[in-house]
Amino acid sequence: MKSDFFELTTETIDVGEVARRIVPNECGATVTLDGYVRQWTKGKETLYLIYEAYEPMALREMEKLIAQAQEQFEITHVGILHRLGKLEIGETSIVISVSAPHRKAAFEACEWLIKELKRTVPIWKKEVYVGGEVWVKGENQDVNVN
Amino acid sequence: MKVQVLFFGATAEAVGKREFEFSLDENINADKARAEILEVFPSLRKNFGNSLLLAVNQEYANGDEIINNGDELAIFTAVSGG
Repeated sequence: MKSDFFELTTETIDVGEVARRIVPNECGATVTLDGYVRQWTKGKETLYLIYEAYEPMALREMEKLIAQAQEQFEITHVGILHRLGKLEIGETSIVISVSAPHRKAAFEACEWLIKELKRTVPIWKKEVYVGGEVWVKGENQDVNVN
Repeated sequence: MKVQVLFFGATAEAVGKREFEFSLDENINADKARAEILEVFPSLRKNFGNSLLLAVNQEYANGDEIINNGDELAIFTAVSGG
């Protein structure tokens, strides 16, 4: 049975495996975001990242995002998998896959989902770089309450 | 009454713990609970000012929710996943 899913893991993510989990027969396209650890940010070198989550709330917020995406876009299924713990450069931290009868809705939903996830899902990353470490500040302080 | 307060990421580092059992008066709302927590942990206000987010029972709080005995509160900074 292929259907929506949202999960947290501390294991290495196989992006292709995630994408294949949401492909039903009526779909013509799956758009997959593979977010991974960047080494260089504006001249600063990152060594590794540590992700931490408020796990039960993160799962609830991911479930809400999928429900909202299902209402707003002509899509079939959504899969979201976020990794936690220590991640090395180039390792996948998040996969969002969206399947749809037609690609346009899948692209739009995928972009909307990652934007909202970065705003609402309680996960934080600590960046350990050459010369220090910092809990990365979220871009958005305003979270809609409902 | 007693509530459980959870900290994550930067707030956990600032207070030096991940959870704390907290005594509160009956019938106070989320805003008041947040103010009392910040009083007990001044490092939160010093490091994060008024930018902290509060969740009550794993839902974002807007401030006027009434807190009940046994509730799970969480205080954290703007999220940075992805």
